Amino acid sequence: MEVSRRDFLKATAAAAAFAAAGGAVLKPKLAEAAEGGIKWGKAPCRFCGTGCGVLVGVKDGKVVATKGDPAAPVNKGLNCIKGYFLAKILYGKDRLTKPLIRKGNKMVEASWDEAMTLIAGKFKESIEKHGPDSVAIYGSGQWTVFEGYAASKLFKGGIGTNNIEPNARLCMASAVTGFMTTFASDEPMGVYDDLDLGDTYFLWGANMAECHPVLFSRMIDNRLKNPKVKIIDFGTRRTRTSQMADTYIRFNPQTDLALLNAIAHVIVKEKLYDEKFIQSHVVFKKGKTNIGYGLEDKFKFVDEPKPMTFDEYKDFLKTYTPEYASKLSGVPTATIVEMARLYADKNRKVNSLWTMGFNQHTRGTWVNNLVYNVHLLTGKICRPGENPMSLTGQPSACGTAREVGTFTHRLPADMVVTDPEHRAKAEKIWGIPAGKIPAKPTYNATEMFRALDRGDIKVIWTQVTNPFQSLPNLNRYRKGARKGDGRFVIVSDMYPTKSTEVADVILPSASWVEKEGVFGNAERRTQQWFKMVDPPGEAKNDLWQTIELAKRLGHGNLFPYKYVEKEMWEEYRKFGEGQGKDMAPYEAYAKARGLRWPVVNGKETLYRYAEGHDPYVKKGEGIKFYKNKKDGGKAVIWARPYEPAPEVPDKSYPFWLCTGRVLEHWHTGTMTGRVPELKRAYPAAVCEMHPDDAKKLGIKNLQKVKVSSRRGTIILPVDLNGRGKAEKGNIFVAFFDENKLINELCIDAYCPISGEPDYKKCAVKVEKA
Amino acid sequence: MNFRWWPIRRAVQVLILALIASPLIGLTIFRGNLAAGELFGINLADPLAFIEATLASHVFVASFFGAALMVTALYFVTGGRTFCGWICPVYLATEMGEKLRRFLGTGERTFSLNGTRWSLALTITTAIVAGIPLFEVVSPINIISRSIMFKTWLPLMLVCAILIIEVFVARRIWCRSLCPAGGFYSLLAKYSPVRVGFVPHLCTHCGECIRVCPVEEVLAPALSDNRPQIESGDCTRCGDCIDICPTKALGVDIWYK
Amino acid sequence: MDSESTHTGISRRRFLKDGILVPLALAVAGGGISTLFLRRADARGFYLRPPGALEERRFLAACIKCGKCAQACPYTAITMAGGEAGVGIGTPHIIAREFPCRLCPDIPCAKACPSGALDRKLEDVEKIRMGTAVIVDRENCLSLRGLRCEVCYRQCPLIDKAITIEPRHNPRTGVHSIMEPVIHADKCVGCGICENACVRDKPVIVVIKSPPVQKDYYEF
Repeated sequence: MEVSRRDFLKATAAAAAFAAAGGAVLKPKLAEAAEGGIKWGKAPCRFCGTGCGVLVGVKDGKVVATKGDPAAPVNKGLNCIKGYFLAKILYGKDRLTKPLIRKGNKMVEASWDEAMTLIAGKFKESIEKHGPDSVAIYGSGQWTVFEGYAASKLFKGGIGTNNIEPNARLCMASAVTGFMTTFASDEPMGVYDDLDLGDTYFLWGANMAECHPVLFSRMIDNRLKNPKVKIIDFGTRRTRTSQMADTYIRFNPQTDLALLNAIAHVIVKEKLYDEKFIQSHVVFKKGKTNIGYGLEDKFKFVDEPKPMTFDEYKDFLKTYTPEYASKLSGVPTATIVEMARLYADKNRKVNSLWTMGFNQHTRGTWVNNLVYNVHLLTGKICRPGENPMSLTGQPSACGTAREVGTFTHRLPADMVVTDPEHRAKAEKIWGIPAGKIPAKPTYNATEMFRALDRGDIKVIWTQVTNPFQSLPNLNRYRKGARKGDGRFVIVSDMYPTKSTEVADVILPSASWVEKEGVFGNAERRTQQWFKMVDPPGEAKNDLWQTIELAKRLGHGNLFPYKYVEKEMWEEYRKFGEGQGKDMAPYEAYAKARGLRWPVVNGKETLYRYAEGHDPYVKKGEGIKFYKNKKDGGKAVIWARPYEPAPEVPDKSYPFWLCTGRVLEHWHTGTMTGRVPELKRAYPAAVCEMHPDDAKKLGIKNLQKVKVSSRRGTIILPVDLNGRGKAEKGNIFVAFFDENKLINELCIDAYCPISGEPDYKKCAVKVEKA
Repeated sequence: MNFRWWPIRRAVQVLILALIASPLIGLTIFRGNLAAGELFGINLADPLAFIEATLASHVFVASFFGAALMVTALYFVTGGRTFCGWICPVYLATEMGEKLRRFLGTGERTFSLNGTRWSLALTITTAIVAGIPLFEVVSPINIISRSIMFKTWLPLMLVCAILIIEVFVARRIWCRSLCPAGGFYSLLAKYSPVRVGFVPHLCTHCGECIRVCPVEEVLAPALSDNRPQIESGDCTRCGDCIDICPTKALGVDIWYK
Repeated sequence: MDSESTHTGISRRRFLKDGILVPLALAVAGGGISTLFLRRADARGFYLRPPGALEERRFLAACIKCGKCAQACPYTAITMAGGEAGVGIGTPHIIAREFPCRLCPDIPCAKACPSGALDRKLEDVEKIRMGTAVIVDRENCLSLRGLRCEVCYRQCPLIDKAITIEPRHNPRTGVHSIMEPVIHADKCVGCGICENACVRDKPVIVVIKSPPVQKDYYEF
């Protein structure tokens, strides 16, 4: 029996959403009286992958306030400064409110019917002329679960192409392949509680202080309470995180591979490993080496894993003496040994945390494997307070991109298109004819835009992301999009961006609480919110947009829902059931401040693969990596060597360029750039440089410099003593500033296994401007 | 066409305004204003400003002194109150005011030319006693240049007040009797070699020169006593009397007579 | 001219006018201006002066209001005060909330000063003392409420010197820390970048006149 939207809202929302939203802390009636008729609802924050809960205050059809949700377990009422101004992202002056169609050099207002008719026409024409692989959709980890699910279902199950990618490919694809190759199941075993419970934290290429602010303050609080707590920051740049860490260890870019192997080397040599854990939970493997960098179009790579013994692995490690790693990395030998011992210290609860430093890496998958190696060797995994944890940068990189599987090769719940059984299961749940889902993955994100540049993809639709600012080697892809010859670019967004600049049709989108949605954060927490206000003007939900296209292409039958979100959720839930990826019924999420999957019998799971926590682990098994059936429920230690970066500094381009974020802005600044307070707090990108390097070049602080790589040039002021302190021979530029497109300089080399580009390393030169 | 001084003088006055405004369009030839400026990298300073600042603050800056000395020498050589007649933007403004006053026929009253010296004395005393560079605070010269340099219009009210008083109450009162800078330069002008010369036998006593002169008192001794030069330091060297004299009885002298 | 003809009467009137009335009027006017309009400089509140400025009273004495410092500022941070500044009319100052001092390494404003009101020998930006930043409204400071703001700290050009972060336990949540920005007056140059960057409508951190350094023992 179908529940109508109205009934459902009556039954659950009335009690759960607006009322119970503040329920735990505020009686709704009281809240209204006290706060001038403002109604409060709960939602996860729209920004990063931390997944802070916020209370959204609505009055007269407008979001008038947001505040940290005291009942949200992640942040307990706190926010970072972006989250504090969350409401303002909806009300920028230049919000898009009408569909726009390109007429010559002008974007002309059009009705939705006109725009959708044009789009559907282009899709049909392209599919007829060039086949289904000539159309594509590019979304993001900011898609709600529904939006991602609908896009995947339409493209894979309706149109019949695997041309679907999220920008998460640029963000945490290496974390995914790391999890998949080591544990055969995506996403971490641990949770944020580890930040309170552990005592040793190794940060690798993660500026938590700025990029995961609320989690960082949690880890720091742990240290305040427990003098034993140590925070070690491995990095190539001295950040605010390094400043607050107990130890900052600077290493040369790319040498994290050697360092982690050297740490394993010391652990093995000094017999600090957990023999028993290894015997019962670990197998050893090696893969191909010299695997390339994906610099050429249509680059293809398939790894060939070969089993090996512990002894063979020990042999492999012999090369990675601390002396050898020290030479490569610049980290003193003694420090490497000390860190290895700290990792293996039986009296310490050790955690590793990482983000883009690992993931945006031409050996991203490898370096993810290598950090698991250390945890698997020492058995410090799947226990409260000791886990490796990959942090994410987008609100639903986990919930949508990874769990729904909006990648070219993936299907929901860890399934892949290359597996006939997986395809069959998806086809059954989706109610589509067998064989409809193509068996071959097509393009990763970079390759997708290369295909657009070449003309292999004719029609591309981007939703909730800004690829024409965020892609590496941007000049090529920006030019490619405007090459004409049948290319047709559709961009759905809430504001004009660098991507709407190259669009043929711009669709105005609803955002955040202007629609109903579900996000999944980095600790597997699935969080739901209801629509609270109407989008401005004619702006519409991306979910509606996708379904509208489906209808016009004759795939309307894929979306036979009345209450779309709830019914879609119940359908989606079938994928994970019994697979260790179980989700709760929709109603549960309307009530809870998020639940961490697998949710079995209404109970969330804190520690995966651990007896007593994970319902899939039987009594007496202790720890079981049950998703890796191939290897008998064991995790894999991979022998992954050090290999250099594709482009290293030389005489003509003597500096390493690293890019990243700042606390005040998020991603390409589309939202935070519309908040005057944030814009004033951090108005424009700067080039961080070491004072000694600047001195050599005769550059003074704040002076304008010209930074160029083999791919592009930008001019911006230099910052010698700012919040981030570049190491000698390195520079850093944040990528939020749409007036300073640093990604034009970045190299579009990617990890052959994950397809994730390396935004952290390329060679540039710096001159006085 | 007979040679006339006033077009040149007007051009110089406008050029000064243009120089003060020039940084606004990114030119770097001139910086600062008439209190202290930098022309083609050469530092210039108003000697009165130097005296006031130095006496009030007890800070001595050698380069400031040098710049003031150079300007003093320059004005001494060129006639002292030439500053007033040729450079000062307030003088330009009050000249315009004067035209309006004549048209309206109002405000005939005048005050003594000695006022400027008194006001100079007051300025210097205030600097020493109170430590306040009084003239730099109220100076309409500074106000006009700041208005141009930074597009701040409100303080121009003071200049307007002066103009209103001049038009309706007392003719040219600021330049004649109040401006301490005028007072300072009048001391130089007294001994400056550049003067208005007078050839008595050519004079028809038509009175035109007295009519146009802003400080007509300076002409009287020469005209009545048949002296060969205008000797008073209050003469602004504006040249209007020379331009207007129908018989060329007045001209420029470049040495003492 | 008619005045010239009647000799005796004039000279007395002239004498009265020149010798007594004019100077008297000027003295009264000058005294009036000085006491009413030109009150003591510090009575006008705190003006953030450009780098290298003398102590306020002597700065007001030495500044000749030429505007060269303002012209030299590449960030249009230095503006000339209006009549509201009293005796400071036309003197350069910085309204940090609008445009703070960015601490150019070569300090072009001080170099441009002809009169010594700004110390042109100043070479090291860390030696500048324009004022001292203070969190004047601790109640409304987001960082002190436990939110991860600390914009003032991260934008401080003397980060980790003039402002540091002192974390302490946040009893409200029990698991987070309050990252308190702490200002070190001995290092703060008073550039006002924190005041400019503060995300609150009314900045909770502002630059004030540097308080005199008090010793930690009693002395009389």
